[in-house]
Amino acid sequence: MRGSIAAITLATVLALFMGSAGAHDESKYPDWAGQWRRPPGIANQFDTSKPPREGQKPPLTAEYQAIWEANLKDQAAGGQGTDPTYICIPDGMPRAMNVIFPMEIIIMPKTTYILIEYLSMLRRVYTDGRSFPEDFEPSFMGYSVGKWVDKDGDGRYDELEIETRLLKNPRAFDASGIPLHEDGKTVVKERIYQDKADPNVLYDEITTIDSALAQPWVVTKKYVRELRPLIWFESICSEGNQHVRIGKENYMVGADGLLMPAKKNQLPPDLRHFSAEATGATGEAKR
Amino acid sequence: MLNRILISVMTLTAALLMSVGVAAAFDDAQYPNLKGQWIRERAPAGVTGQGPFDPTKSWGHAQQAPLTPEYKAKFEESLADQAEGGPGFWPGARCLPPGMPAMMTNFRPMEIIVKPETTWILIDHIHETHRRIFTDGRRWPEWVEPTFDGYSIGQWIDTDGDGRYDVLEVETRHFKGPRTFEPSGMPLHDDNKTVIKERIYLDKADPNLLHDEMTVVDSALTKPWSVDKKFRRVKEARPYWPEDICAEGQAMIHVGKETYWVAGDGHLMPVKKGQAPPDLRYFKQPPK
Repeated sequence: MRGSIAAITLATVLALFMGSAGAHDESKYPDWAGQWRRPPGIANQFDTSKPPREGQKPPLTAEYQAIWEANLKDQAAGGQGTDPTYICIPDGMPRAMNVIFPMEIIIMPKTTYILIEYLSMLRRVYTDGRSFPEDFEPSFMGYSVGKWVDKDGDGRYDELEIETRLLKNPRAFDASGIPLHEDGKTVVKERIYQDKADPNVLYDEITTIDSALAQPWVVTKKYVRELRPLIWFESICSEGNQHVRIGKENYMVGADGLLMPAKKNQLPPDLRHFSAEATGATGEAKR
Repeated sequence: MLNRILISVMTLTAALLMSVGVAAAFDDAQYPNLKGQWIRERAPAGVTGQGPFDPTKSWGHAQQAPLTPEYKAKFEESLADQAEGGPGFWPGARCLPPGMPAMMTNFRPMEIIVKPETTWILIDHIHETHRRIFTDGRRWPEWVEPTFDGYSIGQWIDTDGDGRYDVLEVETRHFKGPRTFEPSGMPLHDDNKTVIKERIYLDKADPNLLHDEMTVVDSALTKPWSVDKKFRRVKEARPYWPEDICAEGQAMIHVGKETYWVAGDGHLMPVKKGQAPPDLRYFKQPPK
């Protein structure tokens, strides 16, 4: 009997020692390692349960519905409308979670990192118990505070709740230019969790509260884990980007390296800052 | 009797370890503490230039880079273009990521995340954002898509035998270009066959000083070029991580091989004296 007590005591001490104070017990967190992608057949629209563009039926206010419709007309004419990303500005939140190119999630005790290859976007979700800072520089990805939740009480976290604020503009919900309000006061709430029946499926329930919306817009994104050998590639928007913005105008650069209009009958850029000699020698002469 | 107790201890220990999920636990104590925000160590007095590759020397000629004559001539071409107001060969001027090895000059703060299988280096500069160093014992894959940051395989080493890793050895290959060593436009070879070896470790005397001893082997060099990059850990427990969006407010635009400025009034302007404006042959309308 005395021997058994000694054994239990020694074993407990040994186990505690071997576990060490520095250990990050990954078994407390869900296994979200690997590469996550949009499911096959899912396009880039914000609400993936509805068709893109007009089919999205976003709950916009009348003012922002009019802005969006004007944007759709501009896009139909070859413009970019209210989609700001053509000059390689990042999607920002919540659009980043459209996950155009694959995503990786790194869980550490104080921070969860979300790396999205498209436009090289990086989110830090702080899970160290902090509150939102009172004064903070707004950013496209915003400031995210998260909390791990053990929903089923099995001693293991199964859901990450996130709130994101302090966002900057310009942003749109997707490539159709569905606008967010220019006041930048968006609040994005998320619940990220795995499918109960399939650990290779991840969901992100996103609730967007924004002054451009008549009511919060709730969508649920689905991601699937890549099970083939992983290939990570770089998405460098500026590499080979044919759009150039001069003032408020968007132009294209053709395959021959020459400037082209992006819209029918678009005026060329104003060359007033070039000397008459330089303009006469090339620009005007070649026009 | 003693043996029976010992066997009991071992059996119970094994059972406890399995039941508390230690198999999935990742013991931070085995690795050096690289947590926090790292910024480029202050340059020695007299060192000038934006982010010189060898941090002990000013950028440009003072680097005394061991370039081949062909690449020395290219470097002079970049310097001459910059002297006239152009961007030279620095890819950052086109909002392209510097890639390796220039990204480790740390133009923006760096964070290092260590897990057993991978070490991530996050630097939010242009489109860099993250480097993955695979430490899972893998070999070089047969095919890798070339990237600006390259493909990195690392190995943790316990150099002093104290049971704790203290050096991360990294080898990086499979690059794409254009890349330069520093913003002066000192080029790496167009063949992109660069091999970069690094030893990343904390200073023995100062745990808030990180070294990255880097050796670059490249066809533009007459011999391998070794430098010691140093990074300083900031004191803030919750540091500010800036978002670096190159395209935001970018006043420099590129049309074909020419670079122009967009002035504060939104109109195009030359970057060099006497520079010709863009060819407007595809426009039907005359300039305003």
